[in-house]
Amino acid sequence: MVRVKSRYLLCEVNVTDRNLLLLLDDRAVTAAVKDVVQRMHGDYGAALCSFGFSVKYLNAVTGIILLRFPKKCYKQLWSALPFITSIEARGKQISCFLNCIYVGGTIRTCQKFLIRYNAHQLRRMLPKCKSEEKHNIQQAILDCCLTRTHTEEAEDTLESEEDE
Amino acid sequence: MSCGTEKKKAVDLHQGVLQKNLSPERYLKIQLELEEAVTLTEVELRFFIISGLRSLHGEVGAALNFDLLEHSDVSNVAVLKVSKDDLVKLWSSLTLQGFYKNHRCAFRVLQVSSSPPDS
Repeated sequence: MVRVKSRYLLCEVNVTDRNLLLLLDDRAVTAAVKDVVQRMHGDYGAALCSFGFSVKYLNAVTGIILLRFPKKCYKQLWSALPFITSIEARGKQISCFLNCIYVGGTIRTCQKFLIRYNAHQLRRMLPKCKSEEKHNIQQAILDCCLTRTHTEEAEDTLESEEDE
Repeated sequence: MSCGTEKKKAVDLHQGVLQKNLSPERYLKIQLELEEAVTLTEVELRFFIISGLRSLHGEVGAALNFDLLEHSDVSNVAVLKVSKDDLVKLWSSLTLQGFYKNHRCAFRVLQVSSSPPDS
């Protein structure tokens, strides 16, 4: 049997209030995407979304979501994502918009891109940070990332330190 | 050949015209059959088709451009014009419309062509 192909959309959730971002969970995101696809593409879209769509990875601290779509219909479902205006999580409405930063065929390619993207974001944020202690920590992490040793551990520390 | 002419006689009800589908438009001649004798005005029919498109294909479907060219109040026969790419969505939503204001209904597609039907 030939392998089942899918498309993984790496999206970034942009919010005005970063504290609300921590309330995100995958069930809320699933519900929001299904609801908007039902609105934009009707029953046909809801059926496309019911099997083969899932949220594979969610990072509430950085606001990165990895969505899986089947290869045949990912463009149609992708076209519905800009119409998401708010996500309801734990009783609160988080008004946000989704920004798609990468489309990959496998989770591994998305992970590779995400590591590079997070390193890029850190380098962008480094001039902005104020207290000296944080400055030192970030510098150390950047050194670790540049030598490309233990990339997975680097990715975990990068994501936790990105919240400024 | 005798068997050929017999077949032609049996098929006289439908007219088959072979065309090269070069134009980007399609014309759909439909008839709305209702259980009870209800007639629809043009506006009502248009709204009914759009609501069917919205339920099956969402906002994208409801925004499809289609024209209601001819409409007969008596027999509920209408001619719709759509672009080639939208034909499948329109036809599928017409097929799945089962109820009009609690009356059972069905859309019968009488003719599909790429040039305006002469009727």
